[in-house]
Amino acid sequence: MSIRLKVENLEKIYGEGERAVHAVRGVSFATEPGEFVAIVGPSGSGKTTMLAMIGGLLTPTRGTIEVNGRDIARLRGKELAEYRRQKVGFVFQANNLLPYLTARENLLVMARINGSDLKAARARADQLLEELGLAARRDALATELSGGERQRVAIARALMNDPELVLVDEPTASLDSARGKQVVESLIAEVKGRDKLGLMVTHDMAMAEMADRVLEMHDGQLVAHTVAARG
Amino acid sequence: MIGFLEIRRRKLQFALVGLIVTLISYLVLMINGLGVGLNEQAGRALRNFDADAIAYSDRAGLSVIRSELSAETVERIEAESGARESAPLGYMAVNYTRNDGKVKSAAVLGYDPGTIGEPPVTEGRPLTPADADGLLADRQFLRASGLKVGDTVRLAIRLQEREFTIVGELNEGAFFFQPSVYMLRSTWQEMKYGTNAPGTPVASVVLLKGDGLAGKRGAGWEAVSKSTAFANIEGVSGQQSTVQALQVFGYLIGGLVIGVFFYVLTLQKTPQIGVLKAVGATTGFIFRQLLVQALLVALGGVAIAVPLAWLTNEGIKQVPDPVPIAFTTGTFVTTSALLLLMAVLGVLFSGRQVAKVDPIIALGQQQ
Ligand SMILES: Nc1ncnc2c1ncn2[C@@H]1O[C@H](COP(=O)(O)OP(=O)(O)O)[C@@H](O)[C@H]1O
Ligand SMILES: [Mg+2]
Repeated sequence: MSIRLKVENLEKIYGEGERAVHAVRGVSFATEPGEFVAIVGPSGSGKTTMLAMIGGLLTPTRGTIEVNGRDIARLRGKELAEYRRQKVGFVFQANNLLPYLTARENLLVMARINGSDLKAARARADQLLEELGLAARRDALATELSGGERQRVAIARALMNDPELVLVDEPTASLDSARGKQVVESLIAEVKGRDKLGLMVTHDMAMAEMADRVLEMHDGQLVAHTVAARG
Repeated sequence: MIGFLEIRRRKLQFALVGLIVTLISYLVLMINGLGVGLNEQAGRALRNFDADAIAYSDRAGLSVIRSELSAETVERIEAESGARESAPLGYMAVNYTRNDGKVKSAAVLGYDPGTIGEPPVTEGRPLTPADADGLLADRQFLRASGLKVGDTVRLAIRLQEREFTIVGELNEGAFFFQPSVYMLRSTWQEMKYGTNAPGTPVASVVLLKGDGLAGKRGAGWEAVSKSTAFANIEGVSGQQSTVQALQVFGYLIGGLVIGVFFYVLTLQKTPQIGVLKAVGATTGFIFRQLLVQALLVALGGVAIAVPLAWLTNEGIKQVPDPVPIAFTTGTFVTTSALLLLMAVLGVLFSGRQVAKVDPIIALGQQQ
């Protein structure tokens, strides 16, 4: 894998007329394979909106999002669904799991959706649960898990189909800082080791500092490109 | 599959709708059984006639009760119709007194031994031309009357009463909503008209065998196919449309219940459908889960309802005057298939709803 993302003049306007909200206003940036990028900024500055557009969940109003040279802002329907399940691993702010499934089954759903080999998927699910310290909670229903456990299952789910693009929206919300640091480290290891791309929204500066680069958003625009100490 | 796992984890909800589907399937099966049963009562014996067409008096309006044929007309029918084989048949309704003292009616068919009008005997022996007081009785008649081959029975019409010996058993079914008995045509004529004198009607109808007979007519007669004859039995068309209306309602309600349940379920699951879409599931994939669930629920319902209906029928058969319910494998297969089809149609409603869910909602929700 060696994924390149190039975002140009990206804009998103929610609604129309009087009530129109200009959530993202002309964002441009590009990434290198193996990069782990943190996105910071105040609440309402457009971080989730931008991540959703890159993840194929939201259609941009203007601008292009090139993934390996292909503009995914133009994809629709089945093609878009395919992009989401094959290229993207998305960890939602609200870590939505399917409540009637166990931790492991929530991961296996990804293989079902993708039509992947189930035997390999089971092995991968067990390995991910192990890495994220969830081996003991494997067969617990999503509703029986704690907030932090659900978050980690959501991260494991995002990694199930081995996506090139790992998008994480405030993962540490329900993780204590020690556990949070550990989770982010394993995400970084996944990205570095396989030349993937990681984009993580966070308001925790300690976590942001673990990234190669920090993008700061303010009022729908990027205000500064910071290269973190870690390099 | 996800759909299957969901059923396992939400047993109560699915069991409840499964129960309703079971009850509806049972109801539809019983209605269908009643439809078949009523039809058998109306005239299984007619459908069993070894004939391609049936000739009536052209003044009878295809009614076996009103049709009366003279010896000349019977000869004309046999000559003019071009039938390969033919057999005059007489019909009348008689009363008899059952062992329990109840007076019941039976359909008498008068035939000539050796013709296509002769029914096959399943027990005992057939009638010979000498058996003026012999009777062949249908199983249903024997069961209802409590009589058996070798017993005697008194049949009455108007002021006449005559004793017959049952010499053989038949499995021809009912005729005109009554159990059927067969006697010699000459005996039938004597009982019905009180005489065998020349000029007395000799038959009610003539059974015909051959090609292209249905629709033929001549002076004083007309011939129709067996199915037309059956449909013209008094009461059959009204009964069939009633049963069909009940069937249609049953299927519609079955489809609607499944449809509404899955629609509500789909609405309830909107957030989860959003998440599935956000992680890359297509509308088709999610809809297939619903389809599998609907089929499983319907299949479960039908799988319980079929033996239940069968058992009910076995129970009903034990009483002396059973409700006319009859099941054929065909009834079970078609009813089950149609109910499954209705489940699929019912779920189609929800397809649009699934398509409408925007994956973006996955971003906003809290668990
Ligand atoms: N579906 C929506 N409809 C209208 N406005 C929205 C919608 N989603 C987000 N917004 C607005 O867009 C802006 C950016 O939101 P968001 O991307 O969630 O910011 P952040 O993730 O940085 O907190 C906010 O002003 C928010 O109110
Ligand atoms: Mg946000």
